[in-house]
Amino acid sequence: MPLRSSSQRRARPLLGTLVEIAASGASAHLPAALGAAFAAIEQIDRLMSFHAPDSDVSRINAADAECEIGIDSHTSHVLHFARKLSELSDGVFDVTIADVLMREGFLPRQEGVAADAPAAASFHDLVLLPGDRVRWRRKGWIDLGGIAKGYAVDCAVDALRAHGVAGAVVNAGGDLRFFGEPQPVHVRDPETPTSLVPLGVFSDCAVATSSGYFSDRLSSGGVTEPLVDPLRRACVRWRQSVTVVAPDAMTADALTKVVRLAAQAAPGILERCRAQAIVIDRRGMRQCGIAMPAEATAA
Amino acid sequence: MKLNQWAWLPVAAISTSVYATTYFTTEEAQQAIFPGEKLAPAFVTLTNQQAKKIEDATDVNVRHKDIKVWKASGGGWFILDEVVGKHEFITYAVGLNPDGSVKQIEIVDYRESYGYEVRNPDWRKQFTGKTSAAPLKLEQDIHNISGATLSARHVTDGVKRVLATYAIALK
Repeated sequence: MPLRSSSQRRARPLLGTLVEIAASGASAHLPAALGAAFAAIEQIDRLMSFHAPDSDVSRINAADAECEIGIDSHTSHVLHFARKLSELSDGVFDVTIADVLMREGFLPRQEGVAADAPAAASFHDLVLLPGDRVRWRRKGWIDLGGIAKGYAVDCAVDALRAHGVAGAVVNAGGDLRFFGEPQPVHVRDPETPTSLVPLGVFSDCAVATSSGYFSDRLSSGGVTEPLVDPLRRACVRWRQSVTVVAPDAMTADALTKVVRLAAQAAPGILERCRAQAIVIDRRGMRQCGIAMPAEATAA
Repeated sequence: MKLNQWAWLPVAAISTSVYATTYFTTEEAQQAIFPGEKLAPAFVTLTNQQAKKIEDATDVNVRHKDIKVWKASGGGWFILDEVVGKHEFITYAVGLNPDGSVKQIEIVDYRESYGYEVRNPDWRKQFTGKTSAAPLKLEQDIHNISGATLSARHVTDGVKRVLATYAIALK
């Protein structure tokens, strides 16, 4: 197919969201590069899906304590990173929380998960063995929802680079990573999601945002949480947006959860991961950590 | 280095109610999914009975009975469909292999809106710059929205409907 331009933008439904990839470079290579990038994301989706019965995650969740499970090196890489972040954050980040998500109805219930039993395992209980193998010391369930999307974006970027693409933006439902031309990045104002706040212009890094306003669907006032404001006699609405800028998308994706859950410990963890956090709420915008080389509009 | 602090930053918001991207024309999407093949229109109109069967099989509403279908010279099928969410309007293409399995799905056109703008022909005028920064270059500067975690559920439901349409009306 003859190509008129040297940049292409494509989007496909993957990872439970829409994944958009824009790439520029030698025209002849772009279709193959984009195809390889989408294929890389599909592979991560297959390996780390909670729902697909033959994924690595499902096989880990089906295994009894003390059974060794062989997994793909991609899954192993993500689990090792998750372990590192669990240790850095004193367990604030923990992938062995799928039993809670199942109990609360955020994930479909699997066999063996008691309706009322307290969470049994923690990240310490999933033993990472040499040779891409794992074993439960104490039976638990994992969900990589808070980290795999970012890793899939990183794998897509690797595929694009391997195909000699000059520059690209990969956007998996708002988890962004780019290289080449510097990119302006916006985030939605959590108070009024129809307003965009410019974060700055970035190159060769990743930006991920965690916020209530799109976790289910956009409503006029964000997501209602089961926490009551006694003065208003109403439930609290969560109106905060946490953005993390990091060298790679897996780090950015995972750190948004850490910043959200552990604002006190976050500065030290951000520094260790060479990342920056930007929080927007009704009081305004504040940042913390190591600013990436960028012309920050807001600075 | 003293990094363990949160520092306040000024906020400059841009008001926008519409965000849109066109990825392909129909012909480009056809060539992306069936490179080098010839595609012939094979539009079909579902009978009420077929529409009901599709809805029963998928639990997804059949919004349009006119189905935009093309037959590829290699035996595959190209179906252009659209889904409407609360805030988004998505046109997408499904390529089917000759055996009816999914070959490829591509988003053709994506529009996001937070009001009545989607019905307004002048919707582009809804983009209003309210920042001290450089004026927005539309469709260039607002591609990278971090955290716009849109659900692909409508597209997933739409693909289910397309597969049922193939089984009931095309096969």
